[in-house]
Amino acid sequence: MRSPNRRLAVAVAVAAATSLSFTACAKKDDSSSTGGGAAGSVPAGKTVDYAKLEATLNGSGSSFQKGFNDTAVAEMKKVAPKLVVNYAGGGSSKGKKDLQDGIVDFAGTDSLVKDEDKAKFKGEFLYFPTVSAPITVSFNVKGVDKLNLSASTVAKIFQGDIKKWNDAAIKADNPDATLPDADIKAVHRADGSGTTSNFTKYLKAAAGSDWKLDAGDTVNWPADSQAGNGNGGVAQAVKSTDGAIGYVDLSDAKASGLKFAAIKNKAGKFVEPTVDGAKAAVDGASVKDDLTYSPLDAAGEKAYPITSPTWIIVYAKQTDKAKGEAVKGLLNYLLTEGQALAPTVDYAALPEGLQKKAVAQLDKIQVG
Amino acid sequence: MSRPSAAMTAEPGIAILASQLTATRRGKDLAASLWMWGALLVAIVPLGAIVLYLIQLGAGVISLEFVTSSIPISPREKGPGMGPAVAGTLLLTGLASALAIPLGVLAAVYLNEYGKRGRLATVVRFLADVMTGVPSIVMGLFIYSVWVLHFGLSGFAGALALACLMLPIVIRSTEEMLRLVPDELRQASLALGNTTWRTVVTVVLPAALPGIVSGAMLAVARAAGETAPVLFCVGIVSDVNWNAFSGSNTTLSAQIFANAQSPFVGAQDRAWGAAFTLVVLVFLLTVGARFVSARFTRKRGGL
Amino acid sequence: MEAGFRGLTVLAGLVVLAILGLIAWSTTSQAWDAFASQGLGFFTSSDWNPNQGRFGALAFIYGTVVISVIALVFAVPVSLGIALFVSEAAPPRVQTAIGYVIDLLAAIPSVVYGLWGVLVLAPVIGKSFFTAGVILGVMITPIVTSISREVLRTVPRAQREAALALGATRWETIRAAVLPWAKGGLVGAVMLGLGRAMGETIAAALVIGSSPQITLAIFGSGDSAAAVIVNQFGEAAGTHRSALIGLGVVLFLLTIGVNGAARAVVHRSEQAAGAV
Repeated sequence: MRSPNRRLAVAVAVAAATSLSFTACAKKDDSSSTGGGAAGSVPAGKTVDYAKLEATLNGSGSSFQKGFNDTAVAEMKKVAPKLVVNYAGGGSSKGKKDLQDGIVDFAGTDSLVKDEDKAKFKGEFLYFPTVSAPITVSFNVKGVDKLNLSASTVAKIFQGDIKKWNDAAIKADNPDATLPDADIKAVHRADGSGTTSNFTKYLKAAAGSDWKLDAGDTVNWPADSQAGNGNGGVAQAVKSTDGAIGYVDLSDAKASGLKFAAIKNKAGKFVEPTVDGAKAAVDGASVKDDLTYSPLDAAGEKAYPITSPTWIIVYAKQTDKAKGEAVKGLLNYLLTEGQALAPTVDYAALPEGLQKKAVAQLDKIQVG
Repeated sequence: MSRPSAAMTAEPGIAILASQLTATRRGKDLAASLWMWGALLVAIVPLGAIVLYLIQLGAGVISLEFVTSSIPISPREKGPGMGPAVAGTLLLTGLASALAIPLGVLAAVYLNEYGKRGRLATVVRFLADVMTGVPSIVMGLFIYSVWVLHFGLSGFAGALALACLMLPIVIRSTEEMLRLVPDELRQASLALGNTTWRTVVTVVLPAALPGIVSGAMLAVARAAGETAPVLFCVGIVSDVNWNAFSGSNTTLSAQIFANAQSPFVGAQDRAWGAAFTLVVLVFLLTVGARFVSARFTRKRGGL
Repeated sequence: MEAGFRGLTVLAGLVVLAILGLIAWSTTSQAWDAFASQGLGFFTSSDWNPNQGRFGALAFIYGTVVISVIALVFAVPVSLGIALFVSEAAPPRVQTAIGYVIDLLAAIPSVVYGLWGVLVLAPVIGKSFFTAGVILGVMITPIVTSISREVLRTVPRAQREAALALGATRWETIRAAVLPWAKGGLVGAVMLGLGRAMGETIAAALVIGSSPQITLAIFGSGDSAAAVIVNQFGEAAGTHRSALIGLGVVLFLLTIGVNGAARAVVHRSEQAAGAV
């Protein structure tokens, strides 16, 4: 009963702080949200002549946003034939490090740069939010199609406190399911990952003292749990291992045909990971001046609690003119046409207010 | 030598003394046969499975389009494209060969024609042998430390690492071949008033050429399939990059590694296709090397 | 001209020394930060925690040893069996055919073994020390077989014929005449296979499961030095990167130690064979 009010309060606060059109946009989002996988409308951005962009842009980092980037870049190629964009993935940690070292032109990350690392960058950098999406808790257990999990159960599974699928804690969340007496094989990320960061932040916030491993791009997992490279690697491991459970972005999980659990949110409801659930979570989040925000463990009945933001970070000063224009062009595309493409690959487009702020921030990129 | 002979004298004695031991002896012999046949079987099952899977899953994917068209940006997409990886593999191994083969041949000439049994030559020979055992990942870290940290990722950095892996193989195989060239040829050339270097360049190397080519081809085959140094020194891209000196590149091996970790059918298919392409390439080099060296030995026999 | 050419060849020979020297120097200096900050703990602790700057590599070194041992347990009997079959039992035409096939199999890149391991074998038997060990064992089998075959070829015909003439069975001939003669070379062949298995990165990284645990349960997932370097190198900076290069130094020392010993053993047995 309390949470809808709180959500409203947050929404009002954000609306007041950002733009007057926000409430209207929220409404529009709600009405369009029933059409899950369909392409959304194209929001406004800068006017860019994509055909004139001529450069090779290298990016690395978040594998969480790779599904979105790949789709948008492939589509963009049709209007910007002379622009080559290589997005290598490799995990958010790698993206942040590569941008520090100046070996990529942009980096994808789902986690923020730590304060002590900011000095390592070669100048000021900007966060551009592109999309958000649920982190699923995907599983592969014979005979189990549906699974409900609460934060503390998820925490205990990944911590190694719960070792069997028919553990009482899992049974408590799933009274109707027939759970086998099989070992749980938890799979986490082998590389430093923003998905790990958001997943563990969520557990830290929602599972309280049940989660003992803290949060970060890498955490000290139990030594006997397995690991995969990138969201794709975890998805593959879960898919090919009976009894496995792992955290994977919705897009990769769906595309690889995984089953995923409904997670108990703050309002006490078990919510399936969906684009709508992510939208509901992002709508309630407060956005900082640098366009960072956290939709984790959001209030609201519909909100999927493990919803992750993701950003592209670039240097504010672009010394190479052609590359600088290309970076701006790419970001503009992701923030406009890309937003319409997002739901087709199971990512949630940005709420209108945040999208507008991100487009406005493009002016902060100095080229030449 | 002494131990086997001692054993030999003992065996028949035992056999004559106790005929009931014959069963044991026959049993042991049977067990040995079973071991040998069993070993063959145990090896054939997984190795055969790998080859069958390669043919079944790889050959279906492969086509002219597969080896020429570009890699899809999204790993979820189905259908071809490993063109850039084929190009990168050829570019990197080509460069590595251009570095390692001349250097290796020269070093082998030193070992066989100048250094011979000298102390330096013995040390170099031993270290070249040891160097063949340095894992490719260590070569990758080495080039990363001395090159990539200063000049960034590039195809050339990868070629340097591959060249380091090829070098000892080229040296040792070339030296073996030079050793097969009869001394009479050298003496004849020297008697005609040629200097050693002219003898080497005009007589010895041409005589050993097929053998050298064969050894070099095996070294190329080894380099073409290496993965770890490519990951550290070259990076990964999905577009062709003909410039080896700037920007990341990609190879079949790196693409196999990346796609093998993908949960998507399209990417896994491309991994099998890339593996098939790579194995065909490596087999061609290996068979070619055998063919060349077989002709060489026949010619040598005729000398 | 003569002196110039000679100088050039000497230089080319010295490149080998230079490269090995540079490998040792450059990797060690890059790894020094980790060695210095971790001390002996680098080798004795299994607490690998990049967030807290703790880099105990014991679990990875342990994993490398375990999978190499499993690989040898698989590969040695199989390779020796095939090599003996080819040299002692098979008719000449089969010998050539098998020799040809073995050479081809030895040329298959390790990443292809890894691909098969991760997409075909792992879904059936899981990712574990055992899976990685078996894949490596399968991978080194052609190499060990090929070298063993070469070694057995050096056994003089007369040696076998003498045994057979005395009424020895085939096995007795092998036991008494062939193996003692070839022992040194065969040990060398096995050690070369061991060196290859220890340094193998890609195939192991794909199927070992990336769990840095020290356990005797070989059917559980594990990790190895080479695998962790590949998995973490991309994002590693500072001491973390230094520690990964440090693992490379450990691998370098392990493999050149094993290879050097193997070469020495083979060399000595070759000389002994030559002396007879």
